Amino acid sequence: MRALVVDDSAVMRKVLIGALSRADISEVDQASDGMDAVNATQQKDYDLILMDWNMPNMLGIDAVRAIRANGKTMPIIMVTTEAEKSRVLDALKAGASNYIIKPFEPATIVSKIQEVLAKSGGA
Amino acid sequence: MKVEYINPFIESTYDLFSTMLGSKAVRGDVALAKEACSAREIMALIGLSGPARGMVALSFPMDTALNMVNRLLGTEIKVVDDTVSDAIAEMVNIVAGGAKAKLSVDGEKPIDLSLPTVVRGNSYNVDYPTGSVWLEVPFNSNLGGFTLRVTFEMAKKLH
Repeated sequence: MRALVVDDSAVMRKVLIGALSRADISEVDQASDGMDAVNATQQKDYDLILMDWNMPNMLGIDAVRAIRANGKTMPIIMVTTEAEKSRVLDALKAGASNYIIKPFEPATIVSKIQEVLAKSGGA
Repeated sequence: MKVEYINPFIESTYDLFSTMLGSKAVRGDVALAKEACSAREIMALIGLSGPARGMVALSFPMDTALNMVNRLLGTEIKVVDDTVSDAIAEMVNIVAGGAKAKLSVDGEKPIDLSLPTVVRGNSYNVDYPTGSVWLEVPFNSNLGGFTLRVTFEMAKKLH
């Protein structure tokens, strides 16, 4: 099981990698913006992506659209401070599978990852 | 700036501490911001734009910043470095993000956030431009004290 963590904050990437490890996912790549994420998904197959929204170069939501336009179907969880209902709906419309609002409790993110993977048949 | 606009930022700060830092932030009194000047502080700033205009700043004494980052990552970092700056930037992002969701009006375009900026150094002054009203709230926690400063106005609608 391989995951891609996309966030411009190295600290938040570390926090998310810790959550993935508690969900028994230790093979993790990192990207620091949407553009890097799209490129990474062209190079490798991922079983799960955790995607921030506000990043330089390419926003997370635009990366989700690009990844889906490339025919990739892995679950993508948005992990973001963008908490408005309209933002959540925009992300789901763009192809995000689930949505986690920062700040979060560590246990919440682990259970959300497990729930999304179970739904996609990956756990 | 209406005083009540500061409340979502205060609530958002409480949320950050209770969820990600396993701590409790306790606020002091809201006041007009004083000119900020400190030899041993690190400050993160983020802008709000679109249907509102504003800026949020969180200033931490170095010890508080280190305690927060070590709690968040389970590390024992002793010197303020890029990791600490990065964490502080993410914290102001989270505080502003939570507050803007509370301030945004359903059915209207959400408020946009800029990318955060961090200022650290041996000594700096923060001067507030004439015409912008900044409010500040001191906080305390078992990770140390810090200050939240906010200036915020909803954009005027054109009809």
